[in-house]
Amino acid sequence: MMADPAAATPLAHRAPGADLAVVAAIELGGATLLGAFLLADDSRLIVALLALLGAAFALLQIRPALEERIVAAFRRAQGAALGLGLAIVLAYPFAMQGNSYALHLLVVAQLYAVLALALNFQLGSANIPNFATGASYGIGAYASALLAINFGVSFWLTLPVAAAVATGFGFLLGFPSMRTRETYLALVTIAFGIVVHQMLNNLEWTGGPNGLVGIPAPTILGHSFAAPIEVFGHRLPSQANFYYLAAALVALAIVSARRLHDSRIGLAWNALRADELAARCQGINVVWYKMLAFAVDAFLAAFAGSVYAAYVSYISPDNFTFLVSVTIMTMVIVGGMDNTLGVILGAFLLTLLPEKLRIFADYRLLFVSVVVILFLILRPQGLFPQRPRSYGGRQ
Amino acid sequence: MTVPLLETRNLSIRFGGLVAVSGVDLSLSAGETLCIIGPNGAGKSTLFNLISGIYRPGAGTVRLDGRDITGWPAHRIAAAGIARTFQSSRLFGDLTLVDNVVIGMHCRTRTGVLDALLRPRRARAELEAAAERAGELLRLVSPGLHERRHRLAGTLPQADRRRLEIARALASDPKIILLDEPSSGMDDRDTDALIEDIRLTMTERPGLSYIIIEHDMRLVAALPERVAVIDYGEKIAEGRFGEVRLMPRVQEAYLGQKAAHA
Repeated sequence: MMADPAAATPLAHRAPGADLAVVAAIELGGATLLGAFLLADDSRLIVALLALLGAAFALLQIRPALEERIVAAFRRAQGAALGLGLAIVLAYPFAMQGNSYALHLLVVAQLYAVLALALNFQLGSANIPNFATGASYGIGAYASALLAINFGVSFWLTLPVAAAVATGFGFLLGFPSMRTRETYLALVTIAFGIVVHQMLNNLEWTGGPNGLVGIPAPTILGHSFAAPIEVFGHRLPSQANFYYLAAALVALAIVSARRLHDSRIGLAWNALRADELAARCQGINVVWYKMLAFAVDAFLAAFAGSVYAAYVSYISPDNFTFLVSVTIMTMVIVGGMDNTLGVILGAFLLTLLPEKLRIFADYRLLFVSVVVILFLILRPQGLFPQRPRSYGGRQ
Repeated sequence: MTVPLLETRNLSIRFGGLVAVSGVDLSLSAGETLCIIGPNGAGKSTLFNLISGIYRPGAGTVRLDGRDITGWPAHRIAAAGIARTFQSSRLFGDLTLVDNVVIGMHCRTRTGVLDALLRPRRARAELEAAAERAGELLRLVSPGLHERRHRLAGTLPQADRRRLEIARALASDPKIILLDEPSSGMDDRDTDALIEDIRLTMTERPGLSYIIIEHDMRLVAALPERVAVIDYGEKIAEGRFGEVRLMPRVQEAYLGQKAAHA
């Protein structure tokens, strides 16, 4: 393998201890900030924590070298970063002091992270404006719930079925969309989302506007997800079950995103994002890759939908409106197109902010629009911008 | 008689009332270089768009190695072995140079969705191998590009954008490369350097055929063996540059008085 002396030498000189310290500081600091934010009641404290986060990003904006340093540290201490991150995620519910509301917020934020990662395949990688992620989310939720209620199918079996159904719809949506582009494509997906919402609202067997009630909680080895978890005398509220399930789903989404991004598929999506005509002339079947992006988006969104349905045990068409799709899109734009970590951060921010500060919840659409406009002006590439791929062990 | 590598017969397309290309017959054998010249708006780029599948011909046929590829979509024609560059270079500006060239290898790599998801090691290995080959290709086309291979393509100056486009076209292991005005938007010094690089690439890959659209007469005189002149969508002359440029009809249509005295 060709060594790259210019790039490799400065990296080799740094002590790994410094990298470990940077990684640990960032991960523990982030987790502490999130925890403080979740448990805070006083809105003054919440605003102060937000200001702290804002200051951190302002620092990154002013000093790009700092960002490079952090990224390099994470690249070199990858194993440690992964291990520590996993440990934090596993231990996190124990730090929530039995606060079931905080855990609930974490579950919802993680589900939105999955949805945002799903949309990122289209919006981030391939620049396809899809306003129907909320619809795929709903299709997954309804497919899973209907199977569980009407046929008593186990949750674990409904997961892949719901994903398959939504993927089918994703292809179906992808097909007419191929004849349109940009703004028109966005309109087609908006229409699809509205059609799905209206159908769920008007069909008899989906429960109409009343939705579906009494969706059974999943069980694993005899342990019901509706029951609290007891570990070493520690008692976690029942939300912790879904916390771990959602975390596993986020992990699945991250792994899929990374693997597709670091393959020929991700490159083909990036190519058609940059220049569709040139992509065609490199032998890329543009129609197929666009449909694929729709299908992958629907697949992951349906997983999130199934988990959501089982979690809240009650779904109605109003859970899956156009506004949900817009919110997911905002998460991707705010977080950073085609950057996995950025998209997750965007999802957490936009889920938690309206919950913790009621003023945002009352003016939700206004809040979302202001956030998008501010980001497009101040940091159009998002919190964490896309990073170039690296080859030859320069992971 | 041997079958030509590329053959167009009566190739035509019209946009509404405008006949852009009309009844063009071309033929190209393996390892040959053909230059297409003609005044602005004569239909040269349209001809390339017809051959590379961006437009579907209104009439006529395109054959590659004796196989009829008329009306194939662009991505299949690229896979069949016709690569091209664009007059206003169309790179993937927000990706690195290596990524640009690796994308050029799209139809020579195999990883599908399930491979990427379930066998990441294999997918990664394929991509790494492609990146390594991309590095070599960049070095072949220009060592300067190889040094900057991890930069974003959007940051390159014009002459290097052309070189990168040529490297990307080479990456698909094509039989024919269509170069659409490689010297456009460049000064004489850059053009000379580019001619040198193209010449070098040609000697490195002797089996490859080229069709070049060019305005710069020095490049036309320096590179190709055969020249075809297009005017108002029709082929009005074909032959060696030295002969073609003396034909009255060609001088009238394209070269003008200045070149006639050159």
